[in-house]
Amino acid sequence: AEKMLRSSDTHPDGYPTVEAVKYMGKLLDERTKGRLGIEVFHSAQLGEEKDTIEQTQFGVIDLNRVSLGPFNNIVPETQIPSLPYIFRSVEHMHHVMDGPIGDEILAAFSDHDLIGLAFYDGGSRSFYNSQHPIKSMDDLKGMKFRVMQSDMFVDMVSALGANATPMPYGEVYSSIQTGVIDGAENNWPSYDSSGHYEVAKYYTLDQHLIVPEVLVMSKKTWDGLSEEDQKIVRQAAKDSVPYMRDLWEKQEKASEAKIEAAGVKVITDIDKQPFIDAMKPVYDKYVTSDKLKDMVKRIQETK
Amino acid sequence: MELWILFGSFVFLLLIGTPVAFCLGVSSFATILYLGLPPVVVFQRLNSGVSVFALMAIPFFIFAGDLMVRGDIARRLVALAGSLVGHLRGGLGQVNILASVLFGGVSGSAAADASAVGGLMVPQMKARGYDVDYAVNITVVGSIIALMIPPSHNMIIYSISAGGKISIADLFTAGIIPGFILAVSLMVAAWFVARRRGYPTEAFPGWGAMGGLFLNAVPGLILIAIIFGGVRSGIFTASESSNIAVVYALLVTALVYRTMGWEDFKEATFAAVRTTAMVLMVIGCAASFGWLLAFLRVPVMMVSLLQGVSDNPLVILLLLNVVLLILGTFMDMSPLIVITTPIFLPVATAFGVDPVHFGVILILNLGIGLCTPPVGAVLFVGCAVGRIPIWQAMRTIWPFYGAAVMALMLVTYIPALSLWLPSLFH
Amino acid sequence: MQNTMKSLAQLTSLLARIALWIAGIGLILMTVFIAAQVFWRYILNSSLIWSEPASVMIMGWFIFLGAAVGIREGYHLSFDIVLYLLPERGKKVLHSISDAVVAAFGLGMIYYGGELAKKTMHNAIPSLGISGAWDFIPIIAGGVLVVIFCVERILRRAAGLSTARFGETELED
Ligand code: NA
Ligand code: NA
Repeated sequence: AEKMLRSSDTHPDGYPTVEAVKYMGKLLDERTKGRLGIEVFHSAQLGEEKDTIEQTQFGVIDLNRVSLGPFNNIVPETQIPSLPYIFRSVEHMHHVMDGPIGDEILAAFSDHDLIGLAFYDGGSRSFYNSQHPIKSMDDLKGMKFRVMQSDMFVDMVSALGANATPMPYGEVYSSIQTGVIDGAENNWPSYDSSGHYEVAKYYTLDQHLIVPEVLVMSKKTWDGLSEEDQKIVRQAAKDSVPYMRDLWEKQEKASEAKIEAAGVKVITDIDKQPFIDAMKPVYDKYVTSDKLKDMVKRIQETK
Repeated sequence: MELWILFGSFVFLLLIGTPVAFCLGVSSFATILYLGLPPVVVFQRLNSGVSVFALMAIPFFIFAGDLMVRGDIARRLVALAGSLVGHLRGGLGQVNILASVLFGGVSGSAAADASAVGGLMVPQMKARGYDVDYAVNITVVGSIIALMIPPSHNMIIYSISAGGKISIADLFTAGIIPGFILAVSLMVAAWFVARRRGYPTEAFPGWGAMGGLFLNAVPGLILIAIIFGGVRSGIFTASESSNIAVVYALLVTALVYRTMGWEDFKEATFAAVRTTAMVLMVIGCAASFGWLLAFLRVPVMMVSLLQGVSDNPLVILLLLNVVLLILGTFMDMSPLIVITTPIFLPVATAFGVDPVHFGVILILNLGIGLCTPPVGAVLFVGCAVGRIPIWQAMRTIWPFYGAAVMALMLVTYIPALSLWLPSLFH
Repeated sequence: MQNTMKSLAQLTSLLARIALWIAGIGLILMTVFIAAQVFWRYILNSSLIWSEPASVMIMGWFIFLGAAVGIREGYHLSFDIVLYLLPERGKKVLHSISDAVVAAFGLGMIYYGGELAKKTMHNAIPSLGISGAWDFIPIIAGGVLVVIFCVERILRRAAGLSTARFGETELED
């Protein structure tokens, strides 16, 4: 295409989000008759998420696929889909984020030099550990879990009675292996690709977080597009979502099958209600304004 | 044109004697201005390049080294080592390499290891009549061993960059034999250089005297046991063990040996600040430079150049080595692993190279890149702890590069060296 | 000229001393914070979640201040082998060009560090709760010192006084 938009992603080439943005680039190329295209810089080539968000705000990067976590301190609305156990299932999350609530959150980015374009799937995160199967909250007591350096993750793990240990992702494998921590939490594909299943054999499918990821555009780039092109960009982003979800589902299934074949014990017979009840202090801390409280209520009411 | 500005201004500044850190920073700044992009990104990369927790092991190990040197722990340890191997030519050079093998299990970062081993060994080797450049050269090239012997964070980064299809346990095991091959070839090089320079041998002091030296060194030996044993048994991470080294060195020198006064402590602190600020400033500015290389697609261009050249797997592997060495000269290790793995691995596997084997080749290659000018974090750490200019180290480092490159060739062309050990576990 | 420079140098020397002290105290604080983290993790069996981000921020302070002082004291690594071939005058000109571009970079640290601080001022840093601008104050402060010390070097050279270089001269104030 004539003008190649630069898009950043921390995931490696071939990952569903990377492929979805490439697909969006293909759509753009077709629909603008070669005026616009997308070049994806995958594998965090341009920096980690926090840094690439700033780069997008300054207009160095045109597009950015990021998780909601780094936005929690910038765009308050993004905290809501990041709350533990807010979504009952992946379908529930899709219904909410594809509807008016999702649009509301996307619109909130525009106060921060960004244009929210679409939500992608980030999978559902569950706990895994090297010690024993976790079926109830008692089993979690006193265990050490690695979390991201995020207040909400720390509070969530503490509320469950376990110990949150913030630690860089790359150190987790050795730390589980050597017993510095007991486990961590993540989705199927990351549990697989990080190799953590080699050292932490118990995966408890509690799905505490089903957090979508977001595709944003720099407001600088957006303002430089004609109104017609803006429409095309928005539509192409929306059209890349089903493509992404399809790839994601395939990848999730493949990882699940591989991990189960490797002898990992998957625990599914858990009563989630006590876990959900334990989250009250977390909700009290993060859902403070009436606007956010109302959003939580509307999400819970969404079928 | 952008690339001409980037590399041109870099080389020009290097030649007129601008500090290496600022050569990297200023040339990135100039290139961004030329591209018409917001220059803020250069300073953001600089800031995030140094705001990395894993880098903290560098100031701590350097600080611990300075404390050990000023507080006499280092002299006593090396006196013991010297009595054991002093009758061999270049004995302390061998001790230095052995220390890298031991610390190889500790930090997983070549720069941190160079600061740990160099901070301890370089001043002591100097005091015992070795040339500083010899001590620095051994420390610098020896620290590549650390990347090969587990645990190695870089192997994990490689596995993740490869899409997680490679077992980390296999990678860890695969690095062990290549790590020892590198150690042995460096020891041979160290022996030859020592003989040519006619380093003195010391008389064996007798068992009685050695007992005394041993008792004297006990607190230092305990420190090594804590660091080495702590990380090996999984009690501490690298950053934590480097911190414990500082606290312990302070306690021993202030309370047990009573060799550390306020003035010594102050000077050790300032010395550590100077050395690490300099090294980490280079690492930060290299992050800006590396960002521009990625932005301008330099690694991708180098690969497509390479892909058209030959279809002989031996030639391809050799070319891969050359390209990685060149890239490793300008960029830091982990971003390079992340960028080059998805591009190079398919090329290598298409020619029948095992992904585990390729990981070992990749990391050894990039490790050598860390020791070569103009940009090499490990080289800078070595020169900083030895307080010698880069060119002085450069003049005499060649036998050690030779040994490392020989080890690289062995590891590249004899897959069994990497793959035999992991195969025992399958 | 030399005398004015010498009294000016007393001022910059004091400034460098203060920066070095702040950096040194930073290194000690980092040591204490991480030691506390180790103590909490292994002795008290719980986690200190602020120690890591706080230490990383302090590391920024001591790197940028230490790197700036390094310009004055000349402890940055450089390749000056080519310069040995040049006559004294040419060497001086090149050194001054070098100091000028480093000063320009220092101005960049101030201006763009300020822009980043402004942008992140209203975001809280995870686990610390303080303004995101704190992440960029060190680079701004370092930039100010870089500019001051570079200008000092150029003026000293013009006045015929010595400037320090790695592995060469120690600075006499
Ligand atoms: Na290692
Ligand atoms: Na290099």
